[in-house]
Amino acid sequence: MAKTYDCLFKLLLIGDSGVGKTSILFRFSEDAFNISFISTIGIDFKIRTIDLDGKKVKLQIWDTAGQERFRTITTAYYRGSMGIMLVYDVTNEKSFENIKNWIRNIEENASADVEKMILGNKCDLDDKRQVSKERGEQLAIDYQIKFVETSAKDSLNVEYAFYTLARDIKAKMEKKQEASNPPGARSGAHVLRASDQQRKPPSWLSRCSLL
Amino acid sequence: MAAENKVESEADEMPAAAAADPSAEQKERLIAAVKKEVKQLMEEAVTRKFVHEESGGVTALCGAVEACLGQGLRRRALGLFKTSSTTALLHKIAKHCPEAALVSARVLSAEGAPATRSASGVERRPSAPRPPLNKRGSGSLLSQTPTQSRYLWIRIALFERQLAKIIEHLVNNATRYYERDALVADPDYGSILSSLLVGPCALEYSKAKAPACFWSDPPADELVQRHRMSAGTTTPPSVRRPILNFRRSLNASSDDTSGSSAGSATVSSAKDYVESLHQNSRATLLYGKNNVRVQPKDVEEPMPGYLSLHQTAAGLVIKWTPNQLMNGYAESEGVDKSVYWAMSLQVCVWEVVYVHVHRARASDALILVGQDGVQRPPIHFPKGGHLLSFLSNLETGLLPHGQLDPPLWSQRGTGKVFGRGKSRRRPMPSLCESGETEETEWEDVAGDYVFRIVNNAIADREAMRHSLLERAVQSPPRTPRRPLASTSTTSSDSSTMSVDCPPSAIINGQPPLTPAQIPPIEQAASIELVCSTMRRQIISRAFYGWLAYCRHLSTVRTHLSGLVHPNIVPTDGTESGLTEEIWQSMMDENGAVHNGDEVYRLVYYGGVQQNIRRDVWPYLLGYYEFGSTSEQRSEQDAACRRQYETTMSEWLCVEAIVKQRDREATAASIARLTEAAGRATSSTVETGEVFEDDCSVISDNPPIVSPEPSEREQKPESKPVLSRAPSIDEVENIEMDSEEKGRNDSKVNGETDGTSDSKEHVDVDSLNDIDDDEVYIKSVVENPDMRRESIAEIKRLAEGIVQKGDGRGLLCSVDSGNMTLNGNDLKSSMEESQPPQQKHASVIITNPSVDLAASGSPASSGTTANVSPARSPLGVVREESHSAGASFDTLEPSGDARPDNRSNCVSPASSNGGVYSNELVETFALNLHRIEKDVQRCDRNYPFFTDENLDKLRNIMCTYVWEHLDTGYMQGMCDLAAPLLVTMREEAAAHALFSRLMLRAKDNFPTGQAMDAHFADMRSLIQILDCELYELMHAHGDYTHFYFCYRWFLLDFKRELLYQDVFAAWELIWAARHVASEHMVLFIALALLETYRDVILANSMDFTDIIKFFNEMAERHDASAVLSLARDLVLQVQTLIENK
Repeated sequence: MAKTYDCLFKLLLIGDSGVGKTSILFRFSEDAFNISFISTIGIDFKIRTIDLDGKKVKLQIWDTAGQERFRTITTAYYRGSMGIMLVYDVTNEKSFENIKNWIRNIEENASADVEKMILGNKCDLDDKRQVSKERGEQLAIDYQIKFVETSAKDSLNVEYAFYTLARDIKAKMEKKQEASNPPGARSGAHVLRASDQQRKPPSWLSRCSLL
Repeated sequence: MAAENKVESEADEMPAAAAADPSAEQKERLIAAVKKEVKQLMEEAVTRKFVHEESGGVTALCGAVEACLGQGLRRRALGLFKTSSTTALLHKIAKHCPEAALVSARVLSAEGAPATRSASGVERRPSAPRPPLNKRGSGSLLSQTPTQSRYLWIRIALFERQLAKIIEHLVNNATRYYERDALVADPDYGSILSSLLVGPCALEYSKAKAPACFWSDPPADELVQRHRMSAGTTTPPSVRRPILNFRRSLNASSDDTSGSSAGSATVSSAKDYVESLHQNSRATLLYGKNNVRVQPKDVEEPMPGYLSLHQTAAGLVIKWTPNQLMNGYAESEGVDKSVYWAMSLQVCVWEVVYVHVHRARASDALILVGQDGVQRPPIHFPKGGHLLSFLSNLETGLLPHGQLDPPLWSQRGTGKVFGRGKSRRRPMPSLCESGETEETEWEDVAGDYVFRIVNNAIADREAMRHSLLERAVQSPPRTPRRPLASTSTTSSDSSTMSVDCPPSAIINGQPPLTPAQIPPIEQAASIELVCSTMRRQIISRAFYGWLAYCRHLSTVRTHLSGLVHPNIVPTDGTESGLTEEIWQSMMDENGAVHNGDEVYRLVYYGGVQQNIRRDVWPYLLGYYEFGSTSEQRSEQDAACRRQYETTMSEWLCVEAIVKQRDREATAASIARLTEAAGRATSSTVETGEVFEDDCSVISDNPPIVSPEPSEREQKPESKPVLSRAPSIDEVENIEMDSEEKGRNDSKVNGETDGTSDSKEHVDVDSLNDIDDDEVYIKSVVENPDMRRESIAEIKRLAEGIVQKGDGRGLLCSVDSGNMTLNGNDLKSSMEESQPPQQKHASVIITNPSVDLAASGSPASSGTTANVSPARSPLGVVREESHSAGASFDTLEPSGDARPDNRSNCVSPASSNGGVYSNELVETFALNLHRIEKDVQRCDRNYPFFTDENLDKLRNIMCTYVWEHLDTGYMQGMCDLAAPLLVTMREEAAAHALFSRLMLRAKDNFPTGQAMDAHFADMRSLIQILDCELYELMHAHGDYTHFYFCYRWFLLDFKRELLYQDVFAAWELIWAARHVASEHMVLFIALALLETYRDVILANSMDFTDIIKFFNEMAERHDASAVLSLARDLVLQVQTLIENK
């Protein structure tokens, strides 16, 4: 049976509690925003399939509890994830400070080549802002991670963030594949040969056939 | 021989020819695939109202159809070379078939301009890849074809509703395009294929831009719906699967037990049965024949029906179904079919020992004789080699575990028993006398034959144990069961008398003896052998079964005995649960309820009526005791309320401080933001494990100390405690050193003290530079009398704190500089206690005013205004700020005695100041923020939670957390408290109940160990009670973490059920502790799993699937069914244990 997607990426949303991880996820998967969400307990995930350069990429995005004490469960889910979104709240200084700790967490628990991205959420609340954009950018530069400010409420940059992350993951995967596969020319030739074998030896009949 | 046999059977007109034929099997598979896809597509259409054109189901169906059409296609002859020959085929038949022409035209127009690309030399399908892919260049071909254009013509035909007709056309003209043995050419399959596609062609397809979910995995609702559609009547799992199930897992018994149980299994549902007649994943159809007549009991004439032979995991099964039950039998509806069900046959071949064949002129008959000697009613085959075919299928199906004895056609190439056809095959010698070998003639031959069904596995075992083993060496090796009936007519007696050779002889594989060689004595001995063998078999089977059962039970007892109470409590009279009348009747004149057990019993089985919940819940949670009078209870309530208010007032002060700090922090960060050059923020130390919320705030802010306003002159001398606030490092150091410090009494005395004026001045200034915070020192020092008392007070406090042992609020107020003290004793103690510079701690003595100026008023006894919890704390602050500052004299709590050091501060209900350490404030601040974040998000959709009630919830949480600052607040606590508040309505009561609830629930949080224990218990329970589900979980590996149950156990199912159901569930859990099981949560979880087990198994769910499923099913469960199933499961385990 044909699969409905070409590849599956597992992503993770992490960050302090109350920064807006569930809202971001909801915005991305259902394109909706609800101010009265309940706090995430345990773990949950949502799926959305996007089209990336012609391929159907199924994103399986896991949403975790923010409070650090649940980490015993979430650490198990770092493994196998290909991309991680680190989320902080621009109106909460502390959540920004903790990004460093979350990054260290990732280094300890996730695979080494996992793609990361920092999101500064709730950027629509300018009057309550505590963390400037420059600081966010600077942090990202320090860690060499991409950075974008988002607003789940206003649907700002959420799609962009996920698409970018997915694209980065895909590019990385393809680079890996290319490195491990023989160079392209040969694979093309392989294909040719295979299809040749399938074809029945052409007889004089075939040349005359009308198709 | 084998090949010929197959070719022969090919020529039969039976759709399900011998399984040995690969192309037939392939055709079976292809058709089965199409059937499956059609089924799924139809289900999708029903549940979603329409089918999206790009959905996976459509693609899959197209793939299956393409495969069918491609099989056996005469490509070479037709010159169809390209990979999508079917498209070429379509174009070809377009000339003859108008529908095909239509589709063909559409396909060509949809393809755009493929012609140029084919020049690249790489073979491409006519259905061209879309333009974006061109950028890729040559590359790999197949992976780039987007799904949309795969099977393009089939898709288009489907959407245009022409597909069925096109296929019909193909079928009708199959000979032109297809090989003789192709699926399409097959008269049955071909028409099946075209009729199958009529359904999908009639569906609505939509190109609507649907959200991605339309082509993604079906949500939980849909899965359940689909399951309901296909399952017919669902029997409750506990009924359907008796305890006997577990035998399979232990597997100590032989195959036969499973075989016999399969044979005796009753038909669970009509639909299942009929479906099982067809090929499916569990059973391969080896043989099927219509119009086979059987004369069941109480029927005069043989009835026609469908005979089929199925190969399942358990073995071969022969089934016969009356025509009336078959699909498509034209009969009026409403006829009761159950009588026909009774007539249907289902026989497991391993149960059959002998197969008697009677060939008469009119028909061939088959009689199956079971191991118990019972004969089944004869099965009449129509003439024409059908019986033969059936037997040969049976024989092949029996391999490799068994065989027919004698084999239908022996290995030596002597031909079949019945002999047929070709000249080079010769029948067994014994038959030569009676029958000719020509095909025509053997049909006329009447004759009876007996075959024995040999199970090699059993035979092996028997051979080992057989006492005649040594005899086998000498005894004549193989006695063919001669077809006795070659001379006699049918007589079941004579056939049972047929001689069987000892099993050992078969294994030795010696050549058969002619019948003449069998000595009569041998015959008698062999019969005896057979009997004793049977006896042994029966005994051994019984023994193994019993052994397995015993082993299982001991496992059960080990694992599960701890999970349930041994006594089973009766259910009589509990249908309506605990109603108001019953409740009232149980109360005596003093309002005391004595019969606790009865209450628990009623609640366990029937729940509590809504309007008495408020009264009953405190009993269930153990807050009220059974037997307490109303007076006692109201006293208890009053005390509780007082306690609550006291505690509240304590933390309210701290909250005020926290709020103040927050405001400052916000101001500071905004200031930071707006400054051109950002201030260097004091870097937060990387603490690793501790992500404290407000550390940065704290690090910037020195502790707040309220003025000691008793003397006016103190004011100018109010000194800062510290020059700077401790950073997190320091706090940690404080923690570490607190113990040692505390022990030193003299150190205790060295409390907050002054520094020189100048220092103070400097400090104040510096502090003012840093923040707008005011830092005060409690310059108790100035007033000797006050000092003494206050010192004493502080000392008492500090000791109290120290005794608590966690080092909070330690007094060591050493400043960085030199300290000059005013008091001698203080001085000395201060000098002694000169801790290193960085170990600063402070005692914060607060008056919840932060206003320097206002502290002046003399030390009147502080207001003893009772702070009512409901008022906003800030209001309190403001009031207090004008009051006289607290002196320690006034630190008597009004109302209750001082709370027993639950919190580390003395605070009167007046909240008129207290001693708060910095650390305390920090911790509480951290928790406060967490609480606020969570309370705001708690149950927002539930109308009860207005802002006012949310405030109440917040207060409850804060109070609890204040009392348990070491564990603090963890996400989930709000969810546990909310239903209590809803029921009790009153804060203090809800708080009391919440504390009781948390006694048990606390361990479920990450700080405790209970969650792991729950998971382990779940694993054991499932392993024992539902091994099929367990195997599925095991197959998927990480399932066994059971993390999908995490939220269930943490919140006692609060998020999984609607509010009303939550109440019922909680009552069940609480009551169960006394009645049936202290682990009721496990059984409820198990009940949830069992309710959906069919969906889980059918979709072979792995870990992510099951999480998604249950998250989506949240608040959609049929709670009463789940809860009663949970009770049943408890009963089941109790019975298991009880019955030993």
